[in-house]
Amino acid sequence: MGNDKIETPSELIGFREEIANIQTAIADFESGRNLNVAIISEPYAGRTAIMNEIEKMILQKVTRFSFSSIVKNKDEIILSGPSKRIVLIDDCQFLYMRKIGGFDVLEYFLNLVSNPAILFITTWNLYSWKYLDEVLNIGKFFPVQINLPKFTTYQIKESILSGYKKDEIIFVRDVEFEKEKIINFMKYPVSIKSWKKTIELPYFKINYDFLKLRLLKKEEIIASEDIIFGKIHRVSNGNPGVAKIVWQRSLEYPTIKPSNVKDESFNIELDYNEAFILNLILSMKSITNDDLSEIAGPDYQVGKIIFRLSKQGLISVEDASCIIRPEALKSVIEFLKKLRLVW
Amino acid sequence: MADNSIVSMPVIDTGTIISSILIILIAYLCIRVITFILVFISERAGQYRITVKMVLPLLKFSIYGYTIYYILIYILKWESSQLILFGGLLGAGIGFGLKDLFADVIGGIVITFEKPYQVGDKIKMGDYYGEVSDIGIRATKIVTPDDNLVSAPNYLIFTQAVASANAGASEMMVVIDLFIDSDSDAVLAMKILKESVVTSKYVYISRKRPFTILLKDFPFYRRLRAKSYVNDLRYEFEFESEVTRRAWKEFSRNGIEAPKVNILES
Repeated sequence: MGNDKIETPSELIGFREEIANIQTAIADFESGRNLNVAIISEPYAGRTAIMNEIEKMILQKVTRFSFSSIVKNKDEIILSGPSKRIVLIDDCQFLYMRKIGGFDVLEYFLNLVSNPAILFITTWNLYSWKYLDEVLNIGKFFPVQINLPKFTTYQIKESILSGYKKDEIIFVRDVEFEKEKIINFMKYPVSIKSWKKTIELPYFKINYDFLKLRLLKKEEIIASEDIIFGKIHRVSNGNPGVAKIVWQRSLEYPTIKPSNVKDESFNIELDYNEAFILNLILSMKSITNDDLSEIAGPDYQVGKIIFRLSKQGLISVEDASCIIRPEALKSVIEFLKKLRLVW
Repeated sequence: MADNSIVSMPVIDTGTIISSILIILIAYLCIRVITFILVFISERAGQYRITVKMVLPLLKFSIYGYTIYYILIYILKWESSQLILFGGLLGAGIGFGLKDLFADVIGGIVITFEKPYQVGDKIKMGDYYGEVSDIGIRATKIVTPDDNLVSAPNYLIFTQAVASANAGASEMMVVIDLFIDSDSDAVLAMKILKESVVTSKYVYISRKRPFTILLKDFPFYRRLRAKSYVNDLRYEFEFESEVTRRAWKEFSRNGIEAPKVNILES
């Protein structure tokens, strides 16, 4: 591919360094040094966008495969056909199942990627990767590991606004937002088992967005814009895909105001089995109900658990598949980390 | 009339007694409230549960210590000579029968600062095994797997070895033994046991907390041993049970059998 640098599209503005690292790995491969690449990120964080970009850059030299559901048979992995020496593979987390006998396909795949004549550039769900790296030490098969970083507020702003013309979006003064208070008193329900009662403990919550607005004292329009993207950054936790979805849901084209950016808080209440199923969904981002039942086994009432997860707004069910809702991603990860289901 | 006593005794009137009782009561209430809040926070802190609970014994001893100091100095207004007298009386009291109580208090202080175990740890002390639910002034409370609350006097720390299974961490190692017939495929059995462990919903694996699968031959059977970490020590037995159940289910599907009864002829 040579050393010619291709200009990074603005939607990938936060991934310049990562794309440069992949370019280096490709250049190394062409000079005889094969270092397979693993691009790792949480759901919605931009793995596919990067792969699209890589494919565009070296279109003539690559073959691309994408897994969209769990691969259960070794024969489904056909990588020997293409004569191209660089292979891009999306969503390799679909190559295993967290059950007894669920690693055979992945073991077979790891044998394939050990072929020094082909450079494999793969993408992985962060939580599947972490799990598999501890269990099977898959990191040693992919010496170049690229963990996609979180976007800053500025990167989110630039990435989102790149899809619009200058001044196309109107950031309006928000009367509802202006009425908000810097400190809000809230009540946290605490159940006391011995009394069989629930009491509400008062606590205060600082409205950071509003505080920032007050402290900055910038011009109205600039402040609103900053507040909106600050809020989107906080809600999305720097995840560009989630940020884009939050933006789209908040935008009343061509206007947007701070109070439209909703910070959905999820008070997750799940038992351990439900949390484990949620962890399986998070590790895949999207998984069919049948695959979920197969992994979980007969001890789980998967249908009921999916209903519970869906009712709490943590997942959505589309075409008999469970998908982590982008708005809930941050809360789900925090919850599962607390339970140590996510390492 | 001249006062011939070496140390003048402090005047203890009703007001002093009421004030002292009130201060002790306030200290007790403070400890109860702080304990409630910290336990509430810790139970929601996930992996940091034990870290949050760790400060409880220290807080208790500090509050009780300061309460005694406050009563002696500011309520009873004792001077150094009176404190020495009190020390002497306390020494006599210890000699006459309070020595166990005193040993417990000292044991509590040693446990607080040396931390051989902490609130939330799984320990084995004497004949008892369970989770430490409280380290008090006099005794350590342990909740056994059968949900019995055992109060072990703190002085045991001086006389008995204490084994802490997790030493302040949330995860702890669980050793699971399965026994199979000598004629069964041991390699396949090891693979199944390994996958039972790593796919368990309770497992915790990291570079510092790896898992190991071991095989040992005995005259009439083979022992498979899995050493791995459960993500929260409270799931110790659930983890063991889940791995055993799933492994045996897979063993029977693959023709791996339990040891047969053998008779050794002499």
